[in-house]
Amino acid sequence: MRIILLGFGVVGQSFLQLLTLRYNELASIYGLRPRIVAIVDKKGAAIDERGLDMKKMLKVKKEMGSVSKADDKGFPNLSAEEVIKKTEAEIVIEVTPTDIKSGEPGLTHIETSIKNGKHVITTNKGPLALALPALMDLAEYNGVYLRFSGTVGGGMPILDLGRKCLIADRIISIRGILNGTTNYILTEMSEKNIEFNEALRKAQELGYAEKDPSLDIDGFDTASKLVIMANWIMGKKVTLKDVKINGIRNITLKDLMDADKNGKTIKLIGSIDKELEVKPKEISKKDVLCVHGTFNAVTFVSEFAGEETIIGKGAGGMETASAILRDLIDIKTNLSARMMA
Amino acid sequence: MKLVMKFGGSSVANGDCMKRVAKIVSDFVNQGNRLVVVVSALEGVTDQLLEASEEAKKGNLNYTREFIEKIKERHLNTIKDAIKNQSLKKEIESIVRSIVEEIEKVLTGIAYLGELTPKSLDYVLSFGERLSTPILCYSLLDIGLNSKFLSGKDAGIVTDSNYGEARPLMRLTKYQVKQKLEPMLDEGIIPVVTGYIASTQEGFITTLGRGGSDYSATIIGSSLNADEICIWTDVDGLMTADPKIVPSARTMPEISFQEAIEMALFGAKGLHPRALEPAMEEGIPVRIRNTFNPENPGTLIDNKQKIKAGEIVKAVSLIKSVSLVNISGAGMVGAPGTAAKVFDVLGKNNVNVLMISQSASEANISFIIKRASLGKAMSALEIALLGQGIVREITADEDVCIVAIVGAGMKGTPGVAARVFNAVAKKGVNVIMISQGSSEVNISFAVKEKDGENAVRAIHEEFGLSR
Repeated sequence: MRIILLGFGVVGQSFLQLLTLRYNELASIYGLRPRIVAIVDKKGAAIDERGLDMKKMLKVKKEMGSVSKADDKGFPNLSAEEVIKKTEAEIVIEVTPTDIKSGEPGLTHIETSIKNGKHVITTNKGPLALALPALMDLAEYNGVYLRFSGTVGGGMPILDLGRKCLIADRIISIRGILNGTTNYILTEMSEKNIEFNEALRKAQELGYAEKDPSLDIDGFDTASKLVIMANWIMGKKVTLKDVKINGIRNITLKDLMDADKNGKTIKLIGSIDKELEVKPKEISKKDVLCVHGTFNAVTFVSEFAGEETIIGKGAGGMETASAILRDLIDIKTNLSARMMA
Repeated sequence: MKLVMKFGGSSVANGDCMKRVAKIVSDFVNQGNRLVVVVSALEGVTDQLLEASEEAKKGNLNYTREFIEKIKERHLNTIKDAIKNQSLKKEIESIVRSIVEEIEKVLTGIAYLGELTPKSLDYVLSFGERLSTPILCYSLLDIGLNSKFLSGKDAGIVTDSNYGEARPLMRLTKYQVKQKLEPMLDEGIIPVVTGYIASTQEGFITTLGRGGSDYSATIIGSSLNADEICIWTDVDGLMTADPKIVPSARTMPEISFQEAIEMALFGAKGLHPRALEPAMEEGIPVRIRNTFNPENPGTLIDNKQKIKAGEIVKAVSLIKSVSLVNISGAGMVGAPGTAAKVFDVLGKNNVNVLMISQSASEANISFIIKRASLGKAMSALEIALLGQGIVREITADEDVCIVAIVGAGMKGTPGVAARVFNAVAKKGVNVIMISQGSSEVNISFAVKEKDGENAVRAIHEEFGLSR
């Protein structure tokens, strides 16, 4: 299976590491023989139609900053679009950074790939939050798969749990803590008795929060995940503008202490019911959703099976890479069935 | 004698070539023969038309303009060098100019629509022959011969509407071609017909695809029940081997259709098996000759299998730029349908298979494909077959080549294979894969690319093909 990898940051590199670690197992158990035929980073591309040496590419990236510096395989300044159009491959993996306003460059990458008949796996929430119904339509029309397990809950199989495992049941509502950064900040505030700004600074120091933390603390990241779940699991054709969004910027230490008196705490809760909403809410400390630190938790309320909650680490390079690999195996299995039919 | 003569692109590449062809035609006419001439486009023009239509599809009008100028100049130059008579020159110039205008309109239309259907592509590609044919016709007129030019459509060749690779409606075509051309021959006119192009029953232009102008010649030849069809090209005929590999290779004076078809499949220059079909059916001999060395009688292909004593192998060829794929797994043993699945997947992905081999153990299937499609083929096979418990491994040997040996004398002659592989083994060449059809007219085997030429030389020597 020939793969084009767009974006070679933490997630992209982790994915390659995961492939090298599990290469033999993938072939023997799943019949998956991944070949990375192109990698594109900010400065250019590396291409080999027979498959790039993954360990070498990781080394080149680490030592020289860009895969385009690889001696005979490197193409400085070659654009991702060019690579998508010109390189023969079955799959495009899109892991460039999220831009919640324009969705770019991911949106163009995904569109171009689909129109060129290439299946897409992405961990980029921006394009999906803005245009998921449109992209799903486009993919269906072109007969390709669009998969994005890694966008919600990192390595946790949240999307699959909702869509596949609860098949035949009907999911009525979903609520959860979907953002590790804000959950860490709120946990720190309440456990260490510190104000929001201090907790944010600490999160930034530890690398849990970005320099510009708006995407997380203003609730956009959680909202994007709601959009993805609503479309994928519940079949709602919604985008980011359909979500009511409130972040945690205005939560004070006093708010948390007041809640504490009643055996409660405040968490940033994303919920899908009649409408989609992101809002800091008081919940009981005994609630199964009430996880701490960078953990995520999601509860599905289904008509017959009742409530199921999944808890886990919602972010991280290797965790997200494992979700990409899951999507890759899923597509391989589907394609294989399609070809053998 | 009634002869159909086809002149390939290199035979009509420029004005001097046109004059040379006119001389050949005139010599044959003077010997009392009646001729139909079939012409290809000027060398390289069809490829240029293909490129121009791709550029037009992208909306590149500048390229179109430059291309039009280039193609006009090339053909006007050819006229200038080929034709002396001033009034004939004026006439043919105006014919060429009006055809070039038509090309410009078509390409501009494609550029504006941004669409290139197989139908419109055939229309564009037809211009190469539509330009070369009148020029050759006028070159004949210029030296005092009586000639008229026709398109394949005018000559009566009708095809299905499978644009790009159209198949003639053979009986209808034969009837129409005879109706059209026979009276011209009776009047002493030399019809000059465009090769490669024909039309649907509705009159839309089609092309004959692979086999091209040779196919036109054999279609016309079989329609007219000609005595011989001559394919004029730039080599002396079919050779025992590529002279670049074996300097002592020689032209074969005579081979059978069956042998020629086997050789054509292995890429013998200027021949496609499809083009030989109509001639073979009617038993009309086909002769390959060299425009640049008309004294040489060339190679005669006919239905009479005259196997001379000791003549076992006729020719050996080398097919480069291919790769070997090996599919293995103990689960394949006794699992019916495995091979069908493998080749079904390849077919669906448009991968053509050149050679196949499976041992009786059934534990592996090997086959050879063009190297350019290796990536696609491997990926598709891996996706479809791995992880199903039947196929365990799919591997590729990227740089191999096929050595193909042809000779009707091999049939029923014991020990040929032994001699072949002994000869190769003596040169230290390892044979990777072997295939022989039960027709016994050919043996093919694969070796590493670096060993290919050595293997060809070894076989050429072993069977004494230089003599």
